[in-house]
Amino acid sequence: MNQLTRRRFLVSGAAAVCTAALPGPALAGVRGLLQKAGPDDVTGVIFKGDAPRHPWKWSKEAFDYHRLPDQSVVCGICPHGCVLEKQDRGICRSKVNINGKLYSLAYGNPCSVNIDPVEKKPLFHFHPRSTNLSIAAAGCNFRCLNCQNWEISQVYPESLRTYELFPAQVVEKAIEVKAEAVAYTYSEAISYFEYMIDTARVAHEKGLYNLWISNGYINPAPLDVLCDVLDAANINLKCFSDDVYRKLNGGRLGPVLETFKALHKRNVHFEITTLMVPGYVDDPEIFSAMCRWIIENLGPDYPLHLLRFFPRYKLDRLPPTPVATLTEFRQFAMKKGIRYVYVGNVPGHEGNHTYCHHCGKLLIERQGYLIKTYDLEKNICKHCKTVIPGRWT
Amino acid sequence: MKKSADRHIRFIVIATGIASVVTQIVVIREFLTQFNGNEFVIALILFNWLLLGGMGTFMARAAGKKASLLRLALISVGLIVMAPLELLMIRYFRDVFFIYGSSAGFYSTFAYAFLTIVPYGLLLGFALPYSLVTARNILPSFSGTRVYIADNIGDTLGGILFSFALVAWVTPFQALCIAHLPLLYLAMVVLAHGSRPKTTMAIAGAVCLFALAAGMALEKGSLTPPGMTLSYYQESRYGRIAVYSDRKQHTLYLDGKPVMAGADTALAEESVHYPLSQLPSVNGVLLISAQGGMMAEVAKHRPAFVDYVEIDPVLSDAAFAFGFLENLSGLTRIHEDGRAWLYLTETTYDALILSLPEPDTFQINRFFTDAFFNIAKTRLGDGGILSFSVTGFDNYIRDEQAVKIASLRNTAKKHFKHVALLPGEKIHFLCADFAPDTDIVALLDVKNIQTDYIHGLFHGNVTADRTAYLYEHVNIDAPLNRDFSPHLMRLMYKDWFARFSTSPTGFLVTLALFFSIYLARSSREEFVLFSTGCVLMGSQILIIFAFQILFGYIYEQIGWIVTVFLAGLLPGAMFGHRIRAHGAKILIIADGALMALLLVFLFLITYAGDRLPPAAFLILGLSMSAACGIQMPVALYLRGDKKSGVIQAFSADLIGAAAGTLITSVILIPYIGIIWTTLCLAGLKLISAGLMYARPS
Repeated sequence: MNQLTRRRFLVSGAAAVCTAALPGPALAGVRGLLQKAGPDDVTGVIFKGDAPRHPWKWSKEAFDYHRLPDQSVVCGICPHGCVLEKQDRGICRSKVNINGKLYSLAYGNPCSVNIDPVEKKPLFHFHPRSTNLSIAAAGCNFRCLNCQNWEISQVYPESLRTYELFPAQVVEKAIEVKAEAVAYTYSEAISYFEYMIDTARVAHEKGLYNLWISNGYINPAPLDVLCDVLDAANINLKCFSDDVYRKLNGGRLGPVLETFKALHKRNVHFEITTLMVPGYVDDPEIFSAMCRWIIENLGPDYPLHLLRFFPRYKLDRLPPTPVATLTEFRQFAMKKGIRYVYVGNVPGHEGNHTYCHHCGKLLIERQGYLIKTYDLEKNICKHCKTVIPGRWT
Repeated sequence: MKKSADRHIRFIVIATGIASVVTQIVVIREFLTQFNGNEFVIALILFNWLLLGGMGTFMARAAGKKASLLRLALISVGLIVMAPLELLMIRYFRDVFFIYGSSAGFYSTFAYAFLTIVPYGLLLGFALPYSLVTARNILPSFSGTRVYIADNIGDTLGGILFSFALVAWVTPFQALCIAHLPLLYLAMVVLAHGSRPKTTMAIAGAVCLFALAAGMALEKGSLTPPGMTLSYYQESRYGRIAVYSDRKQHTLYLDGKPVMAGADTALAEESVHYPLSQLPSVNGVLLISAQGGMMAEVAKHRPAFVDYVEIDPVLSDAAFAFGFLENLSGLTRIHEDGRAWLYLTETTYDALILSLPEPDTFQINRFFTDAFFNIAKTRLGDGGILSFSVTGFDNYIRDEQAVKIASLRNTAKKHFKHVALLPGEKIHFLCADFAPDTDIVALLDVKNIQTDYIHGLFHGNVTADRTAYLYEHVNIDAPLNRDFSPHLMRLMYKDWFARFSTSPTGFLVTLALFFSIYLARSSREEFVLFSTGCVLMGSQILIIFAFQILFGYIYEQIGWIVTVFLAGLLPGAMFGHRIRAHGAKILIIADGALMALLLVFLFLITYAGDRLPPAAFLILGLSMSAACGIQMPVALYLRGDKKSGVIQAFSADLIGAAAGTLITSVILIPYIGIIWTTLCLAGLKLISAGLMYARPS
């Protein structure tokens, strides 16, 4: 329970007093006011004095940080910019200051290793039907209340069972299972940036693609380095509202938008995912502003995935997103000019498939991860010969 | 004058008892809806309620010669006004303290419960001893036992009123209104004898009526979140059923959590087709509860008949009325406890599909135990299959979850030759005497059954790697989950704490310190009353759990259990009052009787079980309660029945009850099981008897 501030107390007190005098229809407004008076930021905190005495297992010195005179350090990977005194642990739980040196604890110790279809990421415009070796190590710089991987994202790396896989071994394994890519996914790869960048470099050398599935909450400098070896990304745009970012996710919108711009500038293929959380993300005005921003800053070609929300983790008292909302918002986004808008987590929805933005004909018919129809020749629509944006086989 | 004052005070105490018990039950039900519905939350509310009551009682020490009947009436007015306000506070302030749509962890629930119960709880605890002080200011010989007895009468009547009338017919605010009317009437009668009676009565009456009416007027509004329409709302015996609508979608909420929203295609397909695809032909299917969209999937297998068991007819009716479940030919709706149905029916089924929430309450845990799998097996025909599911994992299986799954698998394996696991949206258990085939897509293709989710996503989600990963981590020697030793419960509690990155250790250490200090400062008589309060609540919880396990969740009978525990105190207290002059000997004998009754309970559940008539448990509860009731008048007699002694005795009883509730339900039963918990309670009484025996004469 967050601290009750005086402002919040006064607002809620006034709302509660007014409640008794209001007729039924006005009650929704009162509840809305109370909700606004509610906790407004779930951003994580630094874990004071919580670092292990010695670097754990294969811990590696952090990629980007700078030292302060009193043995404190400032992490440079993500916009939180954690200032860690000696023995402190960062918000992501993965970076620790041991004797004035910043370490990444999760290096070489993934907790999840799976072979996934690329459609599961979701990446619909990147080498369909290909598979990837998906890896994750513990940690995340966000605190999403609906996290579906909280078991690995909201815990210390030392508290999990892990594999020992160094970058070269990850790539060997990917080749062994005939995967075409390595995906850094599930938890938040920014929190194990050092492991990701080393692995991605080896993968690139061996001709594998690198896929980054992320919240995009990263500083420009490390992102720039990552872009050198990155082939595709799926970045979560949680909501086009800074308030909602703080309230549901514990981050800020601005840096995520900068990430999109940087990926666009570096010509990395990416797709955008927005989970349509009812009561938060499904505000038509916010969504309209989001579509406008995408068109103005990124153009019409990056696919947008609108996912149906299901109650999960701590956000388990909201209903699933109405399918009608997803349908409406998909149509709205397409009207605004975004050419490829998909609906996820709704089997059988027409928004699962790819239609040519020029002739409107069905190009890729999907049933879950299966592709039943594929009417592209390289990157060209078989029907009208229009070039379809993406990285195709 | 003195006689009428005596009568007024006793009636006010009785009316306060009625109102407070109804308020307590309404508040507990509200918290179960607004927060996690596990036993931890019930225990936290009861603990806070009793603790604050004890603190309020303690504060009444300050009441002296100024205590008067008029002021007692004004305290009653305060209680009447606060009851609906408390409920409104719980509903409205939730969104101030917690993020809309999110659940809350242990400590935040505890803090919120404490803060919202403070005004009513303190005032209620204050009212009882205040009435005694008032009575003694008028009639110095007025006995504390009379207040205790009057309070017991009120509590019993309140329990009966709610359990057998209000719960079935009215909403929470209506229940509060009805339960407080007698108190309002008595307060008005008393105020009528004061100075300026008309003005006082008019103001007090208007304030009370406004508060009670405002609560009822705000009933539905306070349940409707912005942006949604409340399309259906009904309080059933088993919980709150509400259907909210938003953009053509209806969502059915049970106790504050969404349970059905249109068809959850993935879950419906997995739950139905994983088991039914295993059968060459499907004749009879038993569904214990159901997910939205399941009926349509069942229909694809063309069963001859389907029995759908759902204990709550209100929930079932709403599910069909709003199209979450479809009517099938051959479908029979049975409103019965699922486990009880298995004991009752003689029908044999080809498939038994459980669609229940996680086993994180004792009520649900009964469907995942050794005894349940045993009875379920007997209702399956040759080649039949049982299936159920628990929360799955996306990419990592935690140690606690692995132990949970292993425990379930080991428990089911005791009764079925094969237990296959499928890691889909949830982890599905297929239990049969044949080896289930896990290539579900191929099986469905053979039967020519089309699906949206399974055909598209099965091979991406239920991969050989993921399945191997699951088996690798659950092939461990985990204990079986048994009715009286619910191993799963302690894992679920751990899980709940892990989800909120907290641990109960800090709370328990603080609690242990608090009770240690309290007990170190208490007299022997207070310790007896503390331990009696502890045993009374502890044994009530034991009997409720045992009753549920053996006979199923039958609300009226649970109402009876609560009522007999309240009712037994009354004859016990009256008898104790008569024989109080025998002093410490009586306390020791009553302690001995409690120990004996706990051992009888142990013997009954171990050797007789469900062969006993349910009435046996009621008689046992009544006897335990009566043995507890005997002790209060005797302890008051030994303490001298002075104001301070009476207040300390009442406090000891309430604080003991708070400790008993919490310790029994959240520590002892989950960690050491029902049998050892019973022995612990008997051990506590042994210490209490020993202390009294060693008491200097």
